[in-house]
Amino acid sequence: MNIQKVLIQNFKTLQNFEISLNKELNIIVGDNEAGKSTLLEAINLVLTGQLNGRNINYEISPFLFSKSVVDEYLTKLKTGSNPALPTILIEIYLHNKPEFVKLKGSNNSKNEDTYGVSLKIEFNEDYKDEYSKYISDPTNITTLPTEYYGAKLYDFANKLITPRSVELYSTLIDTTTIKLQNGADYYLQKIIEESLDIKERTGLSLAFRNLKESFKEQDSLKAINSKLKSNKGEITNKDLSVSIDISQKSSWENNLTSYIDDIPFQFSGKGEQNFIKMLLALDKNITKSDVILIEEPENHLSFSTMNALIKKMAEKCKDKQIIITTHSTFVLNKLGLDNLILWGEDKKTMSLKDLKPDTQDYFKKLAGYDTLRLVLSKKSILVEGPSDELIVQKAYYISKGKLPIEDGIDTISVKGLSFKRFLEIAKLLKKEVCVVTDNDGDYKKKVENKYIDYIGVANIKIYYDKDDTLKTLEPQLVACNDLATLNKIFKTSLPDKQAIVDFMIDNKTECALSIFNTTETFEFPSYVKQSFQ
Amino acid sequence: MSSNHSNKIIVASAGSRKTTYIVKEALSNHTDNILILTYTIDNINQIRNYIIRENGFIPTNITILSWFSFLLQECVRPYQNFVYSDKRIETVYFPPDIGKFKADRRFIKKANVKNYFLVGGKFIINEHISEFSCLCNDKSNGKVIGRLEEIYSKIFIDEVQDISGYDFDIVDLLLKSKIECYLVGDCRQATYFTTCSPKYKKYKGKNIINLFNDWQKKGLCSVEEKNDCYRSNQTICDFADGFYPHLTKTVSFNTDNTGHDGLFIINENQVLNYIEKHKPTLLRWDKTADTFGLEAKNFGTTKGQTFERVLIFPTEGFKKYLSDGNLTKVTKKKNKKTQVVTEEIKDSFHLAKFYVATTRAKHSVAFVFEGNSIFDKLIQYQE
Repeated sequence: MNIQKVLIQNFKTLQNFEISLNKELNIIVGDNEAGKSTLLEAINLVLTGQLNGRNINYEISPFLFSKSVVDEYLTKLKTGSNPALPTILIEIYLHNKPEFVKLKGSNNSKNEDTYGVSLKIEFNEDYKDEYSKYISDPTNITTLPTEYYGAKLYDFANKLITPRSVELYSTLIDTTTIKLQNGADYYLQKIIEESLDIKERTGLSLAFRNLKESFKEQDSLKAINSKLKSNKGEITNKDLSVSIDISQKSSWENNLTSYIDDIPFQFSGKGEQNFIKMLLALDKNITKSDVILIEEPENHLSFSTMNALIKKMAEKCKDKQIIITTHSTFVLNKLGLDNLILWGEDKKTMSLKDLKPDTQDYFKKLAGYDTLRLVLSKKSILVEGPSDELIVQKAYYISKGKLPIEDGIDTISVKGLSFKRFLEIAKLLKKEVCVVTDNDGDYKKKVENKYIDYIGVANIKIYYDKDDTLKTLEPQLVACNDLATLNKIFKTSLPDKQAIVDFMIDNKTECALSIFNTTETFEFPSYVKQSFQ
Repeated sequence: MSSNHSNKIIVASAGSRKTTYIVKEALSNHTDNILILTYTIDNINQIRNYIIRENGFIPTNITILSWFSFLLQECVRPYQNFVYSDKRIETVYFPPDIGKFKADRRFIKKANVKNYFLVGGKFIINEHISEFSCLCNDKSNGKVIGRLEEIYSKIFIDEVQDISGYDFDIVDLLLKSKIECYLVGDCRQATYFTTCSPKYKKYKGKNIINLFNDWQKKGLCSVEEKNDCYRSNQTICDFADGFYPHLTKTVSFNTDNTGHDGLFIINENQVLNYIEKHKPTLLRWDKTADTFGLEAKNFGTTKGQTFERVLIFPTEGFKKYLSDGNLTKVTKKKNKKTQVVTEEIKDSFHLAKFYVATTRAKHSVAFVFEGNSIFDKLIQYQE
């Protein structure tokens, strides 16, 4: 309901990035290292002013900047020019809501007249003199002088503001690491703290102070203190006694811990911890967060817990904007493809809405799994069925000594007409894909015309044989191996190659499996081998 | 185009509880966003304190800004990039020596946006900020006003007599907008000038009343007068009204009798004794006035404030007025050549400052003055 669009420049791996978000649920799926977590971090940074749980101004380092801009800056500096210092920019464009009206203006990189805020991590001009001294000898400079940088938050009316003036709260749940602070869990504390109003908080604070003061009156403590007093002069000439520190104003946060079935929170299972944290964050009555950022909710969760969590998410997302990154096909299937945002190479993102309506429909029916495989793999080979899948994998194994999946290449079996649907996604996301296809007796019409939109697309390759007499994979395989080998592999004694072809067509999967398992020397058609060269 | 039926201009005399009116009106609405604008920091604090006194805190739907903050924050910056996009405009620049500053820059053309409006590429010159605001609104096709309409449903402008030049264009745009405008001011207290632009020159100072009437004629607003005084007694009111013979007389509701009420002449050798006995607040033109080394407030800064008693150190010009009652002779020392303000206007500001000073007191106004006064209400102080 809140964030419409996020634009990021020079922040970590996101050098020039833009993403439009759904109003409620956003499921972001993409390969590792694609920058998905960086996006969540960036949103949370703008809305809380914090990075890694600390004020951003203490966390500015050259590593926050995209490597290529830092390199470019250094190169220019060393070649004698005076380059502009790179700036990190994170802009959050908001929907029109009454509480955002004051954030309206045209001060954003799109010059759009709309509501929003932008965080800039940039050179502080107060350090002009120091900086010019610093660059006077560029030979020793190896990195960006972020000591002279500062982070500032502006609204689109160009007013300098603090995250507090944006009536939008975010919670980032990073389940991959459990950060501990003072023994208790930082997120949980934050959530508990947010859920209490001032009265409840002071009440809790007071109760804790009373507890500490009454501890002082315990007999055993009194005994210790009178003993200490009697030793006066040995350690110090002043009165020495022990007690609990009652000075910290709100120290309950540091000393109280939460219990789950009488087990302290940090001693319960990680899965349980994550589950509770996420449920708390999702509950509007408990926290005031309007934007919830969840990294890989599937971590540490069992199938059944996961199911419960997903159910809750689907219920609760009505009043919140949720952004989830995931690798789990289960999460995706349960939460629905409508909310899917695919994240490809070059940090390109797309949602199903970017596809043609009939392709959208196709993937909705396909229930996610294969779509995800295409997005998550480094490269994929699309084949025409389960037997082709086995043959291509075997051919790869013979040539490379390992299965394609071990190299991050996924072999996906696609039903006849669906190739183009996968290619549509691959084209948009710039995913490397190759298609291994039969020529069906007419390579010009059945292959070259069919894939005309994709021939010449850099990341898409289509492999087929131009011999129209060898219509499908079976005759192709028979053509490049001798009769004796084939009979041996299939444990048959067929009289000629045509009989073998017929046998193979009748027993497609069994024959493919036999080839896959054989230790005999076996030749593969050249178009199959080319697909992974 | 406009729904200006509800725009109101209230011309109020000193002590007529303008601030009370604004605060009460503003606090009566809990939902709509309300903006209160005024010219001086002192007045902002006064309004702020008043609201806190009445309400305990400043409600989130009420925003109080100075006129310059308003222009910078709400008019210049939001659509700054329609006019100038090199750098964010950081703040307003007040030239230390306005005469020299203007002389140095007199050949810079308006088309040279960066140098005409700005100093150092990011500081906007005080005199040009409202013109720049109008430019942003024009170039963006009305987005500045559109944004304000989206945010605020009511705007109060206090001390409206102190704005001038292109400021009037902004006020004009606001009057024509969907926002309900309440302009409150006292033409007798026009002691500042925010800009010195020739535009609207004829409405400067006390003549601002003519502009109000013109706006009313155009159907942009209604003009109301408030001539009740809840601060000074009638004697003080009458004396102050004497500065503006063509305006409606003030009626005082202060009938307190303290035993030392009205107008007094204090000789220089009586000053210390008088201060000791009556504890007045000391008021002076500015720091060049000789106050015998005693702590005193400048006339201009006391606007909106109330004191029990005041002791005024008059200027030479005002001393002449005290003796002969002739208004045209109220002038300050000769102007320097570089001063762009004409003699006549300077006069009216001079008078306005004395009006402010005189009308601060509830019970008594004393002037440090030797000799006889034409005003028989001015009584020579007897120890």
